[in-house]
Amino acid sequence: MKKIDKAVADRYFREKNRNIIIYFIVWFMVSYGVVLFAEPLSTITFIGFPLHYYMGAQGAILTFIILLFVNAKLGDKIDQKYGIDESKNEQISSGSTLEH
Amino acid sequence: MDGQFIVSLAIILATFALYIGIAVYNTAKATSDFYVAGRGVPPIFNGMAIGADWMSAASFIGMAGTVMVLGYDGLAYIMGWTGGYLFLTFLLAPQLRKYGRYTVPEFIGDRYDSHSARVIAAVCTIIISFTYSIGQLSGSGVVIGRLFEIDAKVGTMIGVVLIAIYAAFGGMKGITWTQVAQYLILITAYLVPIIFMSLQISGNPIPWISYGEVVGKLGELDRELGISEYFAPFTNGTKWQFLALMFTLMAGTAGLPHVIVRFYTVSTMKAARWSGAWALLFIGLLYLSAPAYAAFSRFILMTQVAGSQISQLPAWTKSWVDTGMLQVADTNNDGILQWSELVIANDIVVMATPEIANLGVFVIGLVAAGAMAAALSTAGGLMISLSSSFAHDIYYRVWKPQASEKNRLLVARWSIVVATLFAGLIALNPPGVITQIVAWAFAIASGTFFPALVLGVWWKRSNTKGVIAGLLIGLAVTLGYIFAAKYGGFTILGIIDTGAGVFGAAAGFLANIIVSLSTEAPAQKLQDEVINLRYPEQMVYKDGEVWMHDGEPKQG
Repeated sequence: MKKIDKAVADRYFREKNRNIIIYFIVWFMVSYGVVLFAEPLSTITFIGFPLHYYMGAQGAILTFIILLFVNAKLGDKIDQKYGIDESKNEQISSGSTLEH
Repeated sequence: MDGQFIVSLAIILATFALYIGIAVYNTAKATSDFYVAGRGVPPIFNGMAIGADWMSAASFIGMAGTVMVLGYDGLAYIMGWTGGYLFLTFLLAPQLRKYGRYTVPEFIGDRYDSHSARVIAAVCTIIISFTYSIGQLSGSGVVIGRLFEIDAKVGTMIGVVLIAIYAAFGGMKGITWTQVAQYLILITAYLVPIIFMSLQISGNPIPWISYGEVVGKLGELDRELGISEYFAPFTNGTKWQFLALMFTLMAGTAGLPHVIVRFYTVSTMKAARWSGAWALLFIGLLYLSAPAYAAFSRFILMTQVAGSQISQLPAWTKSWVDTGMLQVADTNNDGILQWSELVIANDIVVMATPEIANLGVFVIGLVAAGAMAAALSTAGGLMISLSSSFAHDIYYRVWKPQASEKNRLLVARWSIVVATLFAGLIALNPPGVITQIVAWAFAIASGTFFPALVLGVWWKRSNTKGVIAGLLIGLAVTLGYIFAAKYGGFTILGIIDTGAGVFGAAAGFLANIIVSLSTEAPAQKLQDEVINLRYPEQMVYKDGEVWMHDGEPKQG
């Protein structure tokens, strides 16, 4: 175990949080945002659908799936940047579990 | 006994044999295996298991019908039941995995260092899982009953026996691999009829693209009939009800104990992240398809069934009319069935459409097997989380801490048997419609666990008194609003009982925050543990300093 600068660890935390805030803004716009403006959006047509209907039936769900995969991938990248080694995580993790 | 019956029975028995075979093969031996599958399930398979756990009888049987009947307003279910995975994967799953406890009540009890909080959380888990499983059992009863043409009550009893056997003897490890098989069967069963219908109607085998045109045509047909267009927004409730229902389903998703416990079965925080992503991909496949199912069904009903001679209706109408779920009445006595004279219940759309569209005995049997997989897999996961709340959190952690491992396993198994039988008993005469019961379970989860878990993970100042106040007030407000809206006619902004979670969650957060701030801060050790959740496993926070672990396991 070696000590690292707390500022570095906090930078890790902030970087992850900044991404999560961005994901939630997108999440809000494609779901709640579209519902709030459903009436004006219904005049636009997209691959045969009225746009508000398309977003509710497909657009929002596809966006959610993409956001989750982006989060998983970028999360790995941030881990890598801060020298986190997944195999060590696994070791620590299996030891830190509270066994009764 | 006709050919359809034999084919359906054969398909269902073959899939059951597969599930039971896997459960028996994996029969759990140690307590750790029983609850969380030894924490070694790879993310992609864990994603499928979460999907099977997640997609219940209500999703498989009820959702497409709901979208068909409600039109655009039904899409609140589609977005709500998928959007919640962002709450779960971003805000809770990795952190709960790092904390490393077996169950949700255990996390709450240890994080807030309180046996009272643990017991309240265990009781909430039991209420949520139990309510939810009543819906599943009565759903499986309807499918079995319809299929074998026996009373739904007998069907429910058959379902109870099956669930009790494999949940009690397989434990979660049995269930994890069983659920991977169940996911594959239920998604195949859902997609095959949609692809066939898409080919039939538009000649295009890709339903997600081809049904846009069908939705447009449905709007034209509605305009000709002078009824509101299929895709017109907010025809069945206010915009606020749509938003409140969507929020309730999202927050409830992130607070459902049987879903969260799935994230303890992965090895690390990274694996929890990936499990969430895979889970939504697998779940999304069904949710993206449900509105297509709805549109094709409505199109077939409007163009092929409506407008035909009442006296020459095809054979399938009779058997469904007999169940009371379909009504055809020639109210204007012109001998022709008009669209307005056809009343179809939400819950039979998925089951009846393959018959209506004449897709053949094999597809109809496959859909029945898929519906059974959906009901059984969810009920199995619910029973595990219910039994672990009782056997682990109440019996072992509070009641008898000296109980042996063998003894606890026995208590867990017996509590599954007892809970399943008891839920089955209520399911014989359910207190409401299946989808309604399921929505209440979500509202309760969003009023209790959602605030308690989010604040527990993200706010170190949240303390014991705060969480107890939050859980109790959140529960009371949610239940109070459900009853007031359903029986008292009391609503705010047109939000009905299914949207109650928005008020429960608000009350739960406020109570937790206000009470926490007006009482003393939690012990430094507890606050340090919360700060520690900000970092990956390898970084350890201790006494204001961060240490990088070189990889030897800590003394556990």
